[in-house]
Amino acid sequence: MPRYELCVILKAMQRPETAAVLRRTVETLLARGAVVRSLESLGERRLPYKISKHDSRHTHGGYFSVDFHASPRIVSELLDHLERDIDVLRPTVLKKDPERLQALCCGAQAERAHTATSR
Amino acid sequence: MFALSLSRLLLQALPKQPVTPRATAQCIRSLTTSQQEPLKKGDLPIKMENPYKTPLKTCVLCNITVDFRNVQLLSQFISPHTGRIYGRHITGLCGRKQKEVSKAIKQARSIGFMSVTLKDPQFIKDPDICGIKHFE
Repeated sequence: MPRYELCVILKAMQRPETAAVLRRTVETLLARGAVVRSLESLGERRLPYKISKHDSRHTHGGYFSVDFHASPRIVSELLDHLERDIDVLRPTVLKKDPERLQALCCGAQAERAHTATSR
Repeated sequence: MFALSLSRLLLQALPKQPVTPRATAQCIRSLTTSQQEPLKKGDLPIKMENPYKTPLKTCVLCNITVDFRNVQLLSQFISPHTGRIYGRHITGLCGRKQKEVSKAIKQARSIGFMSVTLKDPQFIKDPDICGIKHFE
């Protein structure tokens, strides 16, 4: 199953409410057959720009990241569900590419080319 | 007169001195097959790596992964006044890294990690990579 990352910005709320929102988000994921890998908090910070969502303008928000494996079919449903949630300001699902062979950087590439031509 | 000039032309056309061939086959053979000194074993050049090797050209972000979450790193490549992404001729990055940085900045703006029109005030004092002079 491909690996996704859900970067979500939640409304600035008290701790129990934030916990409740995260709980129901993860439960939605599990209900749709996703395997949640990890849930990280990236802190509560000031938003880079004011976000208007659900009839209110927000300046602060809590950043969270959920790493999960899921079927590609559920991604659009999940985004739709999160858009309707009043406590979620900005949901984003990103694809996590598997660690591809680190393409050589400029220095290493130049060295390879040099050794190839010298032979 | 006509007859005289013709003869004069002919005289000029003919070479004044006899042409001697500079290098004949026999001459060339003698030049190349000269007696060579027998090679001494200790006289051959020692095999070593080029001591005058120039260091490889690298850009600032060589072997550094660029991520949309790393807002501080990405903020080093935008203008502090307008938040615009600097071009390749200013940042000095190689093609691949410039593209990665550009994509990451746009992604960060879309997701809500980075501002669009300005540089985050806490990152203004960061070291200057681009070396661009701003009007004070």
